Amino acid sequence: MKPKTLSAKFYEAMDKLVPRYPTRVALLLPALHQAQEEKRWLSDETLDEIATYIDIHPAQVREVASFYTMYNLKPVGKFHLKICTNAACILRGADELVEHCEKKLGIACGSTTADQLFTLAEEECLGACGTAPAMMLNDDYVENLTVSKMDEILARH
Amino acid sequence: MPKCTIDGKQIEFAAGTNLIEVAKSAGIEIPFYCYHPGLSIVAQCRMCAVEIEGMPKLQTACSTNATDGMVVKTNSERSVANQKSVMEFLLINHPLDCSICDKSGECDLQDFSYRYGSAHMRYEEERRTFVDDDMGPIIKKNMNRCIHCTRCIRFADEIADKREIVALQRGNHTEIVTVEGKPLATEYAGCYADICPTGSLTLKDFRFQKRVWFLKKTPSVCEGCSRGCNMDISWEKDTVYRCNPRTNMEVNKWWMCDEGRFNFHYVHNPLRIVEPETMSDGRTAKVDWDKAIHAATHATTGKKAVVLVGSDLTQEELQGIQKFATKKLGGAQVFHFGTPGVKTVADDKDIDHLLKRASKTANLNGVEKLGIQPFDKVPAGAQVAVVFRGGRAQLPNLGSTPVVGVGVFFTEEAKNFAAVLPGASFAEKNGTIINWKGMEQKLQAAIPAVGHSKQLAEILLHWTHGAAKEEVIPAAAGEITA
Amino acid sequence: MEAQKGKWETIYIQHFREEARPLKYYLDQMEGYQALKKCLGLTPDDIINEVKKSNLRGRGGAGFPTGTKWGFIPKQSPKPKYVVCNADESEPGTFKDRDLMRYTPHLLIEGMVIAGHAIGANVGYIYIRGEYTREAKLLDEAINEAYAKGYLGNDVLGTGFKFDLTVHRGAGAYICGEETGLLNSLEGKRGEPRVKPPFPAQAGAFGGPTIVNNVETLCAVPFIMRKGGEWFAKFGKFEKSGGTRLFCVSGHVKKPGLYELPAGAITIRELIYDYCGGILDDKPLKAVIPGGSSAPVLTASEIDVALDIEPMMKAKTMLGSAGIMVVAEGFDVVKLIRRITKFYAHESCGQCTPCREGCRWMEEILGRIMDGKGKRQDTDMLLSIADNINGKTLCALGDAAAGPVISFVTKFKPDFEAKMPAGGTHA
Repeated sequence: MKPKTLSAKFYEAMDKLVPRYPTRVALLLPALHQAQEEKRWLSDETLDEIATYIDIHPAQVREVASFYTMYNLKPVGKFHLKICTNAACILRGADELVEHCEKKLGIACGSTTADQLFTLAEEECLGACGTAPAMMLNDDYVENLTVSKMDEILARH
Repeated sequence: MPKCTIDGKQIEFAAGTNLIEVAKSAGIEIPFYCYHPGLSIVAQCRMCAVEIEGMPKLQTACSTNATDGMVVKTNSERSVANQKSVMEFLLINHPLDCSICDKSGECDLQDFSYRYGSAHMRYEEERRTFVDDDMGPIIKKNMNRCIHCTRCIRFADEIADKREIVALQRGNHTEIVTVEGKPLATEYAGCYADICPTGSLTLKDFRFQKRVWFLKKTPSVCEGCSRGCNMDISWEKDTVYRCNPRTNMEVNKWWMCDEGRFNFHYVHNPLRIVEPETMSDGRTAKVDWDKAIHAATHATTGKKAVVLVGSDLTQEELQGIQKFATKKLGGAQVFHFGTPGVKTVADDKDIDHLLKRASKTANLNGVEKLGIQPFDKVPAGAQVAVVFRGGRAQLPNLGSTPVVGVGVFFTEEAKNFAAVLPGASFAEKNGTIINWKGMEQKLQAAIPAVGHSKQLAEILLHWTHGAAKEEVIPAAAGEITA
Repeated sequence: MEAQKGKWETIYIQHFREEARPLKYYLDQMEGYQALKKCLGLTPDDIINEVKKSNLRGRGGAGFPTGTKWGFIPKQSPKPKYVVCNADESEPGTFKDRDLMRYTPHLLIEGMVIAGHAIGANVGYIYIRGEYTREAKLLDEAINEAYAKGYLGNDVLGTGFKFDLTVHRGAGAYICGEETGLLNSLEGKRGEPRVKPPFPAQAGAFGGPTIVNNVETLCAVPFIMRKGGEWFAKFGKFEKSGGTRLFCVSGHVKKPGLYELPAGAITIRELIYDYCGGILDDKPLKAVIPGGSSAPVLTASEIDVALDIEPMMKAKTMLGSAGIMVVAEGFDVVKLIRRITKFYAHESCGQCTPCREGCRWMEEILGRIMDGKGKRQDTDMLLSIADNINGKTLCALGDAAAGPVISFVTKFKPDFEAKMPAGGTHA
């Protein structure tokens, strides 16, 4: 029996959800979110532990985790910048913003800085089109982005 | 009975039948990839889309059941255009490496492209490629050839009952894998190669062995257990190259297990004895048939014999042996052997959720129907055992009793036999076997008896020096080959 | 959110403030849960008929009449029934459900309980896109408030009616906005759309009869049940399309944001120039994407269309999710359609052949054109591929990818040709 690496909080939160769904498999997306909340990214070990908890084949966990973009299957930096470059944001200069970040951080979009501080990514529409350009900084939305606002955020962290 | 019209043909059908099957019953082909009668319907490949009167969009034939009065056109301008465009889409990322692909010659992608696709390639961009992970010893994966029909994923989930093949990621990057290249655990892995419509999942065992257009197919039955899965033996000249399942809705539907599928290898195993042998001065010698028969006669004449028959033999062979035992071996008792611990039909049972049975021989039911008792131990006073066996039944411990073996044996197990008279394996003979349900099924010879092996009828005829055929071996009389 | 000035009555937008979220505000200022009280004394058929009368049409994008949809649910069912709220809001250009959920969550909750009573369901799920982390938390808080006061739970308002509501977060997949993709995702699977039939009304969540409704659709229900279907229907300027709706304006306008207007009351032109202050920097207009990125684009001379479902359809585009994106002259529309196509290729679930292969193919060609390596025949090629996708896929994502490509290439062909190397390469 493999040792558990997810916290008691994880198991408590999941057990609370059990009566809310008619099947155990329906717990999978919540479980992946809950695990990522405490681990920041989902390693094979974590995925296997979730498979055991829900009682499904480890392959089933991976097919679901890899389908959705929010589940980090690789480590991410302390600050995960997800800049929307879809239609409304691109109309308001989002791609220039991404280019600016690439230069400022010295990394290509899709990568993490060497000091593991920042991960820079392009994102699809976040539903903040009226306040474009917008991005997610970890779990939070930052809207009405400008180059200077961006610089401020990068400097702050 | 309800009727519908497909391409102008009026066709009767049973309610609940999809259009692909209804069309097929009237000899009309609707091409498809993701559809499989044994798997759930997903309507993904879009290849089978047809025009139905009264419906503005094309409808996938696999997911549309025929209704009374329905009018369908499979070859209208729109249907044909769709077939061409789906074929085009399927080929734009395909490596088109037919010249080195095992599937060539029996590939749905090839066949439907030829019949329904376009001869021109308009794609000029870079193709998406994958790096292949291993899938274990049975299946070779080539992800670049995959057309994402998802038959394999559905098979894993619905038939093999092991969700070990899954799709990772999504969109054009979707990759179908086992987790981290883990070998497939299912005992039905070979079926993946059957259901894959391209060369994406192929048998490692058959890889680069033979081009399929050189192979002939002989319908036969698997001897791996008492299920009696129907199968085809693929062969060329005198070699068997592979076996795959043949559809039989009563017995095995569309599937067979790996043990059965790869069972045929023993037919050409170099350790199989295919020349008559005798033992003298503690050494085995290869001899001609006359000498071998002479040694067998010498070993049994005037001696109390016991006859053992494998439950892997056919009804005809068994009946011949029973007569032979009575008339030529002094009324020797006949017992059957096959699978340790599964002595009777009552002992036999399903051992997994799909096909496999406890009896590892195919004719346990038949042998019992002939009144033959299971072997327990060598009866007191028996001086020689004559063991008849097809190649599959597990030899029991006969202690120090001298043995004459007739049939398929291997060097190690027969090394102390007084004589070995090599016989035909399942792939080399015709005959009847009875499966667990009591169904009579037919083995059919695909290749001639290997090496110097002979059909049982011929061996018994030789042993009885041509004594009246009809007396000794009427049932097996038809087996004699030139 | 700047308060919208204008002559139309609004029901949502005046409440889009942080102060409006707590239950107390909802009870005091919005006659909260009065509709539910009333509905628990009505029969399911009463409720469904009232919703039918209101001419409420789905606000998610498909515009299906809500009352009719609810009417499809069988009265008896061996399997439990479900009310599912589609809060996946991922159509580019759309941002209305976000405000409804973070400012007036109790509207949604009340709407769902009423829907549960109308179809005989005791369980509801709010499937909210994963990125709306904050909104999911706020919904959870509101749900807790509702449980505490007996608007949810085993004995709703002491009537014995049972209704449980759970927030279920998505995790970044636009395709989960498709109702059957959503249901698969709810069940813990890949969010891949299902073959229809069976439809969710027959076999939806966990195999049971299910209604899947957009957030805004469900938020309209308390109003309809309190003030009557006729009242709601009267807002609409066109037949069979009632109520006010939230319009999301983004892109090159001076005042982007949410606007609440009666369905069909004004045209796109009026919205842009009379409400949104006109084009940024007073530039001339180049194009408008009127219904989320899936809607075919309109040129500057095509914007005298009323903002409602039927008029937009007649204009060969769609109102969809009412996400209006405005493009001024000077912006590279080829870049725009390339990015939009890249979106669809990225979000394609990969099940069906035309979408999986065709979307990427279109993305590749558009990328090549943007890189200056376009060929003369690329525009025809794009139209041919889009045509082979349109109407031929398992779900509407294929159509959503094909329609825009066809419209951009057809209406802005010179923009594409301008990107081809001089003289053009001809394969």
